[in-house]
Amino acid sequence: MSRLGIFVDRKTLSNSEQLNALIRCRDVAETLGHTANFIFPVDIKKIKKMDALFIRARTDPMNITYVAAQMARFHGIPVIDDPESIRTCSDKINMYSRLIKENVSLPKTVFLSKQELNVERVTRLFDDLGTPLVVKEPSTSFSLRVEKVSDIADFFKVARRFIKLSDWIVVQQYVESKYDWRIGVLDGKLLYACKYTIPSVTFKIQASVNGHIVYCGVDSVPPEEVPPHVIQLGIDAGNAIGRGLYGVDIKNNNGDAYVIEVNDNPSIESGEDDCYPHVFETIISHLFAA
Amino acid sequence: MIKDSLFTIQRGDRWHVISEDYSYKTDSYYTILRMETEGKRVEPSTAALIDAFVVPICLERAKIAGIPVCEWEISQAYVPLPSIIYGLNYFASASEFFVVYDNDTAKEVIKHLTNRGKYPFCYQKLEENAEIFRCIAIFGKTSASPEAIKNIAERIYKLFSIPLVKMAFVKTGKDYALSSLSPARYSHLSDDERSLLEAYISRQEFL
Repeated sequence: MSRLGIFVDRKTLSNSEQLNALIRCRDVAETLGHTANFIFPVDIKKIKKMDALFIRARTDPMNITYVAAQMARFHGIPVIDDPESIRTCSDKINMYSRLIKENVSLPKTVFLSKQELNVERVTRLFDDLGTPLVVKEPSTSFSLRVEKVSDIADFFKVARRFIKLSDWIVVQQYVESKYDWRIGVLDGKLLYACKYTIPSVTFKIQASVNGHIVYCGVDSVPPEEVPPHVIQLGIDAGNAIGRGLYGVDIKNNNGDAYVIEVNDNPSIESGEDDCYPHVFETIISHLFAA
Repeated sequence: MIKDSLFTIQRGDRWHVISEDYSYKTDSYYTILRMETEGKRVEPSTAALIDAFVVPICLERAKIAGIPVCEWEISQAYVPLPSIIYGLNYFASASEFFVVYDNDTAKEVIKHLTNRGKYPFCYQKLEENAEIFRCIAIFGKTSASPEAIKNIAERIYKLFSIPLVKMAFVKTGKDYALSSLSPARYSHLSDDERSLLEAYISRQEFL
């Protein structure tokens, strides 16, 4: 019997959907004949005693999840998300660098360092990438610290705020769409697909509207109803990062598909996998097959 | 050596990047990342930098490599006394640590380092007679006199390949155990350390 560790953090475990998904994951592990052990940050030394580790908490190289991933790696324990995937996906500069290197279809993307933050350079960005522009702080997640800007004054206001958090920021061409595809990829294969419908008031996936967090609609979509080129782009984007578990966000505008981002630790708790009943089984089997 | 300046030395097909702040998402970090993306062999790597400056990862890696390290634990609130405490979150830096001897101070420090209990922290229990010893290593060389430190500095350089790094040790009796690594400011260098670093940069000292 193998032991699966499920790493959780009370700070990012905040609603019943998440808790239900964790319990479902544990039940699946037990049905497959394994034991499942929840591991909190204070239990981190227990990772050595596990046979595989599945991280279900907000990942960042600067927080405890990265310590957990590295503990697993140092002791030869298969882990999702692996340290490289966390390092790459948590930092948009790193993530887009990989995608650009592998020629994955993206909106036009430029990195801007704080030394380059001047009117001349910013004017050229609007000329090259069009109006509006999207400005991203590299550690953004759930679309926090992503802003759409329409003129130079706006650009500076947002960029100055982001530059305090990072010496380089991301500037991107704006691509309009009514919804995003989310392609779940594991080890280079399609795991699930769904649509995230964007709230009409703002262009982001999750946004604060009048001080309230607005979640997008989630619709799981069976594979035969997903455009094949969207699935292929999701797989290509995942492969550009690694062989782990990724949620790839894709905008498909008039048949031109662009990767908006690749997320490690994708959410599997809001019905993303309704059409894919074996998602947890596949993940757990993959971990133990490693 | 001006604040924030960055030096790149090429030796054969290998690049060494010298900086006083290699922290995550700094210009130095991203300069290295860009060189890695271009396929250059660059030291330190971005992966090694994160490993080195996140305290528990640094100590686990060093321990596996046979370097004497402090025992560490992760906690949300409890800390035995006396201990060294490090923050463990997006805003934490290994260069900011606190030695606590009493409960009131410990509570204050933990509140500060965890943003009022939002994040876990890392502690290292100290012996009563323990002392903290800090020094700088330049390409694995240190002007600190103890032989044990000279030896550890070389091994740390082999492991992480960081040209300029500040090392913190806990000294108990005659033994030194690594507590953390952190960036080293140019302005904190002694005259000897500065000369040594300049010799490397101007290629008078060879790697």
